[in-house]
Amino acid sequence: MTDTQQEKEKLFEEIKEVIAKEGMIDVDKITPDATIESLDLKSVDIVMILTALEEKFNVYIPMDGNLQEAKDVKSLMEALIDHILKEREKQ
Amino acid sequence: MASSQARPGDRRVVISGMGAVSAAGLGAEPLWRAARDGVSQIRELRTERPYDGRIKIAAQVPKFDPAAHIEANILPLCDPFTQFTVIAADEAMAQAGFKREDIAGPRAAVIIGTGIGGMETIDNGLFHYYTEGVRPDPLSVPRLIPSAAPTTLGMRYSCLGPTFSVGSACSSASQALGLGMQMIRFGLVEKAIVGGAEACVINGTIRAWEGLRVLTPGLCRPFSKGRNGMSLGEGGAVFILETLESARARGHEPLCELAGYGTTADAKDPVRPDLDGVASSITLALEDAGLKPEDIHYVNAHGTATHANDITESQAILRAFGEDYGRRVPVSSTKPVHGHALGAGGGLELAIAIAALREQIVPPTINFLEPDPRCPIDAVPNEARPHKIAAAMSNSFAFGGINAVLIVRAIEGAAHAV
Repeated sequence: MTDTQQEKEKLFEEIKEVIAKEGMIDVDKITPDATIESLDLKSVDIVMILTALEEKFNVYIPMDGNLQEAKDVKSLMEALIDHILKEREKQ
Repeated sequence: MASSQARPGDRRVVISGMGAVSAAGLGAEPLWRAARDGVSQIRELRTERPYDGRIKIAAQVPKFDPAAHIEANILPLCDPFTQFTVIAADEAMAQAGFKREDIAGPRAAVIIGTGIGGMETIDNGLFHYYTEGVRPDPLSVPRLIPSAAPTTLGMRYSCLGPTFSVGSACSSASQALGLGMQMIRFGLVEKAIVGGAEACVINGTIRAWEGLRVLTPGLCRPFSKGRNGMSLGEGGAVFILETLESARARGHEPLCELAGYGTTADAKDPVRPDLDGVASSITLALEDAGLKPEDIHYVNAHGTATHANDITESQAILRAFGEDYGRRVPVSSTKPVHGHALGAGGGLELAIAIAALREQIVPPTINFLEPDPRCPIDAVPNEARPHKIAAAMSNSFAFGGINAVLIVRAIEGAAHAV
């Protein structure tokens, strides 16, 4: 396993915890195949989740296309991890 | 209630004058020129104290000397949002041909929309109080209350009728106009001073807006691919409303008719717009004006350049205007020029829609890169366009899900009528 893959997996777990805590949902519901709809996250939950991620990872995550279009946890995670890694490179 | 009409609600309401304060400066004309020529007024952020956030741009009103426009005994009571209101109102009254006392009395209403009210007074007062233990300015309360704007105008022009502010976030100004129109239509009042004002571009507020992730760190590009949010703006816009009959009786040529108003609530989500709610407000405004979709020749969109608004608004226009005409009617967002002025937004944008109607020019949506297939409207990319406009629509959709749509129409027989 490459370092990047390991880093991504670590981020996946960390983000999952944030989503569960801020979205007030059971962490076991957050599987890659789960649809965003099935998590029953409201727009304000998303704002709270992104704010927590911003503080945890010290990055700004704008609500642009990739994030908005994510239909399942996998694509949402990919968009978030992508943002965080890109921002880390800049720092 | 005295009314010369046989049926209540039949009186035609006109806009006799308008005024504006925006990032383009003082006056409705500089605002229109900037919108028409596509010259963005979004600049590097100017704050009194250092700003630690990530977004460092905004459409702020250029520095001006308020004492040149507002009397020394009134000024200490005027937060910037009230200053903008007073300056815009004086311009509007002058254009309407009214002197200070001309509409005095109980038959004149004053309704001004604002999202927050005196935010600068609140932010500055709390900063000094919490960090330095300095007591807030003794005039803080009368300065910061949202009703400071309409009551200051009421005192200025001796208006004794219904006077209040409308607080419906980004629909505040549009709802203020709609309410004033309804009051005149139904004979509750004869004149109304209406509009909106906002002065929220200050540290605490910008930081809070950043948290919602709706601000772009780059360029605001409504309806375009690659958009990622809006830029904050500020300002004020004021309009003088009366009946067509009264304007004609005093020999005044109004700017246009305020012909339709539709307002609905989504009742769904605090920040996400809803297609049903947005589309229904557009349809209601058309019905209220007695117009068909094809009668509207220009739409000044809410067009915030957030991912969600622009898709929902485009879908709503297609639903309300029809799949064919909805794709053809020119729809532009002028927010990349004057920023999102929140409670003043609907007012600034209506002023632009009125100028578009009178000059027969559709202002462009600037910073447009390429069409987003999910926004299948004609966004008038980057270049203004001469266009035959008999009626124009202005959309405002607010947080909380409050939608407000206004329609203005050329008056038959007027120089600009088509």
